Amino acid sequence: MTPAREQLLALRQVTVSFQGFVAVDRLDLAVAPGELRCLIGPNGAGKSTTLDLICGKSRITSGEIAFHGAPIHALKEFRIARTGIGRKFQVPSVFRELTVRENLEIGSSRDPGVWRNLFRFSGGADTERLERLAVLVGLEDHLETQAAQLSHGQTQWLEIALILAQDPALVLMDEPTAGMTAHETSMTAALFNRLRGRHTLVVVEHDMGFVRDIAETISVMHQGRLLAQGTADEISQDAKVREAYLGSGGIGHA
Amino acid sequence: MSGKISRQILLYGVVCLAILAVPLLVDNAFLLNKYARYLIFGMLAIALSLSWGYAGILNLGQAMTFGLGSYCMAMFLKLKTVPIHTGSDGLPDFMVWNNVTELPWIWVPFQSMPFALLAGMLVPALFAALLGWFMFGGRVAGVYAAIITLATMVVVNLIIIDQQSYTGGFNGITDLAQFDILGLTFDAYSASTYYLVAVCLTVTLFVALAVSRSKTGLILQAVRDQEERVRFFGYDVALYKTFIFALSAAIAGLAGMLYTIVMEFASPTFLGVPLSLSIVIWVAVGGRQSLLGAMLGAMLVTGVQGALSETEAFLETWTLVMGGLFVLIVLLMPKGLAGAVEALLRRIPRGERKGNVRPAARQGSKSQPHLGGAL
Repeated sequence: MTPAREQLLALRQVTVSFQGFVAVDRLDLAVAPGELRCLIGPNGAGKSTTLDLICGKSRITSGEIAFHGAPIHALKEFRIARTGIGRKFQVPSVFRELTVRENLEIGSSRDPGVWRNLFRFSGGADTERLERLAVLVGLEDHLETQAAQLSHGQTQWLEIALILAQDPALVLMDEPTAGMTAHETSMTAALFNRLRGRHTLVVVEHDMGFVRDIAETISVMHQGRLLAQGTADEISQDAKVREAYLGSGGIGHA
Repeated sequence: MSGKISRQILLYGVVCLAILAVPLLVDNAFLLNKYARYLIFGMLAIALSLSWGYAGILNLGQAMTFGLGSYCMAMFLKLKTVPIHTGSDGLPDFMVWNNVTELPWIWVPFQSMPFALLAGMLVPALFAALLGWFMFGGRVAGVYAAIITLATMVVVNLIIIDQQSYTGGFNGITDLAQFDILGLTFDAYSASTYYLVAVCLTVTLFVALAVSRSKTGLILQAVRDQEERVRFFGYDVALYKTFIFALSAAIAGLAGMLYTIVMEFASPTFLGVPLSLSIVIWVAVGGRQSLLGAMLGAMLVTGVQGALSETEAFLETWTLVMGGLFVLIVLLMPKGLAGAVEALLRRIPRGERKGNVRPAARQGSKSQPHLGGAL
């Protein structure tokens, strides 16, 4: 377990129940700065819900979520985001009617005030940084393309780039490779490995191959609780994990 | 990118210059008064385009803020009428008829012109900000927000009709002085009033253009597309929506003030459902995502409406003709006339037009925004 002073994100005894259904049950989870943590588990294990709780999309019933040592679970969503938490959604959500460049400008949210943004026009000092991000996700030739015209994989990458434009200390990724081809998935893995260290990442993923490519530590959730935690090899040999996955065809196909 | 923006500014400027040049060609006070009214409707359309087209807030009660501005101006001009037109002790005539003995407190500050002019924009803006704060803070959106705006307008309208001794009730506030500022008098039937309206329209259009082109404008468009996504970038979405809602109300308030000057009265019909829904139609016809399109849409629809209703052949059927045209346009051009023009321009191949585009950008996809974006 990570010592308390090295924790960037700490969930303590976090519980949430939706009309009696306990989706997350006394979950303890700690993530160190710069870590790339994968969160896996069978369907309905509460992985996405955990991300929702961290970023404020859902509210915890009891427990505590601390970020940089301060509780954040009572803050409004936009305030949580401003503490330095970025969230990529499972269904890629970008601004389809706007161009890639405009999307990136919105992602760049260091100054979120209405008044200051009223006197800020495109082509500012940020341009270079945003164009570098576009290169990073391979969208540099599509800066003026409407986001609606992008392929599914490109849309996923665009959303990842938006989160990077936001530049949060902690990035929450919900199934970033969903719907990607094998080639796109391996490119995403390469991208994540480059982000390691600069950002702290919590990645929810089903694709075990992808998880093996990127993860140092894997946390396995089952029925709302933390079942096991360790390296990929440790996890795949864990008896409890094998049992939990038995119904869903083994860990390789989860 | 910057080329697109300068083309847009050029296009908007040319249209405004054309509007400002009209009195050079038209020397008919009655016509100029009518055209000034159309320009005011254009301002209303710009206001709705900002909130509906850019931020996705369908305001069915836009006429409420228009009416509030109109009443602010009417109260000021009423208090400026020469004493013979008002009752004893300088009270407005309708108050005397309603046995009011002294000027109500709400009227007192309207003796000051700076106050009245500010109030004409700030009262609607603050009212809208308050309403917006409750709606958007409570995450009321879409059709529910639209219904609330409509209902609020009806309530304000009823209050104005009901409080006859303060507002003139059903009759509104009539028999007003002429607006008079810095030694200039604005007769409703004169080129000077037309110029006043045209200059206000030009300023409004360019302010609205600047807002829509700013990052705030971009964020509002993003809110329209994916409100949730914007929130998780750390933007206070409710504040953004409240801001544009209030700005839209201030513009409508300014339009209302001008309307009082042009019409020489204020009436509860200015806050009526028919006018409010008409604004939505103008903006839908012109193209709600284009400020210029919405503005021209308002002028076009009200202009054709005026022409048809005055033509003998259509005396009985003009509403039917207008209705048919609306249905056709909404069905065939979901983005209004501006959207249709943009789509047409986009068909012109890129190479045939001048324009220095970076080679890298040219390799991009077929969906590049072209000249059409200038609207």
